[in-house]
Amino acid sequence: MKAVNIEAKDVLIDCQSLWKVFGSKSAAAMKSIKERGLGKNEVLKEFNCVVGVSDASIEVRRGEIFCIMGLSGSGKSTLIRLLNKLITPSSGKVLVKGRDLASLSPADLRQMRAKNIGMVFQSVALLPHRTVLENAAFGLEVQGIAKAERNKTASAALEKVGLADWLSRYPNELSGGMQQRVGLARALASDPEIILMDEPFSALDPLIRRQLQDEFRQLTKALGKSAVFITHDLDEAIRIGDRIAIMKDGVIIQTGTAEEIILNPADAYVAEFVAGISRLHLIKAHSVMRSVTEFQQSAPNFDIASLARTTPDADIDELISLTMQSERDAIAVVDNDRVVGVVTPRSLLMGVKGTSAPDLTAA
Amino acid sequence: MDSSAFTDVFDEWTDSALEWVSDNGESLFDYIRQVLEGLYDGILWLLQLPPFYLIALVVALIGWRLVNVWFALLSGIALALCFWMGLWPETMSTLALVLTATVIALAIGIPIGIAAGFFTALDRFMEPGLDLIQTLPPYIYLLPAIALLGYGPATALIATVIVAVPPAIRLTSLGIRMTPKEFIELGEALGVTPAKMFFKIRLPFALPSIMAGINQSLMMAFGMVVIAGIVGSGGLGETIYGAIRTLDIATSINGAIAIVVLTMVIDRITQSAARLGTGRKA
Repeated sequence: MKAVNIEAKDVLIDCQSLWKVFGSKSAAAMKSIKERGLGKNEVLKEFNCVVGVSDASIEVRRGEIFCIMGLSGSGKSTLIRLLNKLITPSSGKVLVKGRDLASLSPADLRQMRAKNIGMVFQSVALLPHRTVLENAAFGLEVQGIAKAERNKTASAALEKVGLADWLSRYPNELSGGMQQRVGLARALASDPEIILMDEPFSALDPLIRRQLQDEFRQLTKALGKSAVFITHDLDEAIRIGDRIAIMKDGVIIQTGTAEEIILNPADAYVAEFVAGISRLHLIKAHSVMRSVTEFQQSAPNFDIASLARTTPDADIDELISLTMQSERDAIAVVDNDRVVGVVTPRSLLMGVKGTSAPDLTAA
Repeated sequence: MDSSAFTDVFDEWTDSALEWVSDNGESLFDYIRQVLEGLYDGILWLLQLPPFYLIALVVALIGWRLVNVWFALLSGIALALCFWMGLWPETMSTLALVLTATVIALAIGIPIGIAAGFFTALDRFMEPGLDLIQTLPPYIYLLPAIALLGYGPATALIATVIVAVPPAIRLTSLGIRMTPKEFIELGEALGVTPAKMFFKIRLPFALPSIMAGINQSLMMAFGMVVIAGIVGSGGLGETIYGAIRTLDIATSINGAIAIVVLTMVIDRITQSAARLGTGRKA
């Protein structure tokens, strides 16, 4: 019983089997999906309803950045709106901090949105007739916080995103990247535990985008926030996310860390997606190393103690550098003063290709 | 029964219905007339209190603040012209009529427009009615009004209000519906209460359109107030109507000039106020 409680505490957002069906006959459509197991196309044909999100379950843990990656029409924007009930699910439950959103009164739901869940939009949605400071303070203003206090908090938030010198400017005087920072500052000003990011950087040019991705990740980690981040860009998901969920046609196909997804894609769709991603920084020594006994069988003359050493978390890029510096053709992977495996050039090449250790032993 | 007999019957019905209403609602219409005339007299009294140059000066100052210095000079001189033509009292009573009618029209039109902005069904229901009001020749409204309220400013006010209401309703409703979807979503995501959603998000976006509606109402009211000279509205409308009946072309032109001056001054000032009040200059 106790263990369950601790786990529930660590999971900030827990959604279980969420469905969203759009259309005038969505209730009937939902019913026949459950009873007759209708597919997306049958639902469209029979009820003229569109299945936006289909049986999605995710858990967002405290302090984690959870990316949801999918192309347009995959249902990712619908899914993120289910998390703060901007869209009401057709079926399924959303628990935020252990509270079922469906059971909250309108006032409690507003309170939850105002205090616990911040949101940043792709369109930014800065009020054009308000200054940067007034925009950043808007969330606090509508909570009824006094002007002096909200301006102080909002200034601090703007400072965190590097806009301290722009307080009295208007949104139309700012570049796209800066506007998005104001959007982030507005979300941060209410000091929520969870930030929902709906494709915030998609409309920015690549250089600014990358800069904002890094800043966002640093800031989120530094402030100890949790975030759900929507993107159509797998590179962005990998750069930002601790864990990634891949969506297609409203279904979550796979959830895992970037490394897990690249090494073990759930299906051909995911495999195709990850094919172009560079493995150098994603795959770690522990995934490609061979076991010590196996290594000793194939090369009995090697003295493992004389090999260069590294940690299980070293990525392929580091391992390649180490191998090039080393005189021997292998690197020992050491965890807690114990050699747990050996990385050979062959395993490195396999890693670059994106194949994991089990395949290696088979070969 | 041929068709002319049918229309005769219809006309009889209409006449007797109107008669019945005026017979049975006499005290009600008396009351309405008193309220309207009271409001009109109050505003007129205020406008006649200061001498003409003070009003011209105030208008010029407002014009200077809101438009520019040339407009201020021109509007001051133009108002003085109305005085020199000997039409100052008439000009003020026309202004009082227009202001009274517009205030009433806005008091009716803006709330209805807001409701129509929220409820598309109401908007669709009212649309043909508003179309009807705006396509019928405006002096039509003088007839039932004169039957019920008699000769005088009250009749002119009612007819003017009828004409001035549609733009207020239409543009307010349009403004409310114009709030971009992403800002509604922003408000919801921030946990905004419905009242704050209205005042802090919808209203600022609707304001330019509502201001345009106010301006349009004013312009419609100016148009109608002149026509209402026929029913003894007082003011420039009656001056022009009287001058036309006696073929006094000079006076009718003077009256026309005064009305043009008043209309243009009010139009420019309200337009600039709308621009300043709603959008920040870049």
